[in-house]
Amino acid sequence: MQLSRATLVLLAAAALGGPAHAAVEASSNVTLFREPSAKTPVQVIHPQVDVSADLGKWAGVNAGYEVDMVSGATPRAYGSPTETAAGVDAVSGATSFSDQRQQARGGLSVNTALVGLAAGYSYGWEKDYRSHTLSASARGDFLERNFTLGLAYTRNFDSVCDQNNQNAQGPLDLLALASSENCFKVGVEDVVERKVATHTFEPSLVWTATPRLLLQGGGTLQVIDGFQSSPYRRVFVGSQGRAPQEHVPTLRQRYALFARARLAVPEARGAVSVMARAYRDTWDLRAATAEAELLKYLGPSIIVGAHSRYHLQSGAIFFRTATQYRTLGPVGQYWTGDRELSPLRMLLGGLTLAFLKRPQNKTWYEEFELNVKFDIMKYVTEPDGPSSDRKGAFTSMAGVALRF
Amino acid sequence: MASRFFSKALLVLVLAASGCAGKTHTWLVKPHQRAYLADRIMRLDANPQQKKADQHVLVYREGAMGGDGTAGGGCGCN
Repeated sequence: MQLSRATLVLLAAAALGGPAHAAVEASSNVTLFREPSAKTPVQVIHPQVDVSADLGKWAGVNAGYEVDMVSGATPRAYGSPTETAAGVDAVSGATSFSDQRQQARGGLSVNTALVGLAAGYSYGWEKDYRSHTLSASARGDFLERNFTLGLAYTRNFDSVCDQNNQNAQGPLDLLALASSENCFKVGVEDVVERKVATHTFEPSLVWTATPRLLLQGGGTLQVIDGFQSSPYRRVFVGSQGRAPQEHVPTLRQRYALFARARLAVPEARGAVSVMARAYRDTWDLRAATAEAELLKYLGPSIIVGAHSRYHLQSGAIFFRTATQYRTLGPVGQYWTGDRELSPLRMLLGGLTLAFLKRPQNKTWYEEFELNVKFDIMKYVTEPDGPSSDRKGAFTSMAGVALRF
Repeated sequence: MASRFFSKALLVLVLAASGCAGKTHTWLVKPHQRAYLADRIMRLDANPQQKKADQHVLVYREGAMGGDGTAGGGCGCN
């Protein structure tokens, strides 16, 4: 038992008397994501800032803003016969690009002793995509706060810019979008706006099982209805060298179940957490994911952590490798060059460090927090699958939070 | 018959959930037993911004989604 008696008394006092709730919290975080590749590297810089404030005893407001600054090269045609035959890879026409996606959001919350309600809105925009999101969630504690039931619902109203394919006789005639230059402009005829409606419902239950153990279980049901292909991507299908625009079904229902456990290990001044998730959708993509995390105090203010994640998925029912699309043709009327829809194994490992400072004497702030994180990801994909030249990625993250 | 059974079951559930059933649940974790659970490292939502950024990276790599859940547990004192 390394937690001192004084610390235990303080923790018990916090448990009985309520946590120190800051009236205002401001936090900022920057993530650098790099996926190296000789032909199609990708780099994303993702800064985000969030501010929340209490409005009296029961209510609160929050607002946030984030940007994705994406640059690199992207494969716009999957399965070029010449390049595959030459043994380069299954990617043709890698095109350099630089793009920005921005999102602004705001929300309101009401919290009573046992119930919390929250609602929010966000707007995301980029050159070829617009997204409006409405979200609502409710949380309730019961049985002497040993259980917390949460329900969340999110509705997305998205618009995607696409090539005007009104003259196409069938899916094989679909042309890919060449440029985002005319997207969302009035009076242009070469591009059109396609809608995507997404409903996401997420129930979950947290159980305080013992004085040291938290258990959580829940699920996700998501229905996506609308244009879900990449408008730019072409896929070589059949032996005649045709490369129409990617074509995937317009309806997708996704189901996930998960369980999580977090155990306090006071003897080591730490905690252990594990998570398992099973997933399946109506495109017959099946996946299993497992996570583990260790957290440990070093002194009174520093928390170090190590975490890992393993993800295994099958491909969607209409997915084929580049060679199979060319030799066997498509599966029905659908074809894709999306790595997300291909068989994939991913192993992630990472480290975290958090520094917390809570001043002993009353001052202008209540708590200061500094976080850094570093992850390495390793992918195992089909040899001639989409983006098979990208073997892994690195993520670096740094964040700071101030509570007043 | 069945509707009467379900009505009684619902009533018991509501009373139990509201803590008004008049019975002490010895198996429940009491506030004074939550010292370890109140620690920051036991919070399921200790860093929501970092968690959001993590999900942002993973959702573009994996074909699956979900499993985030809602925060809860901890000291249960707010």
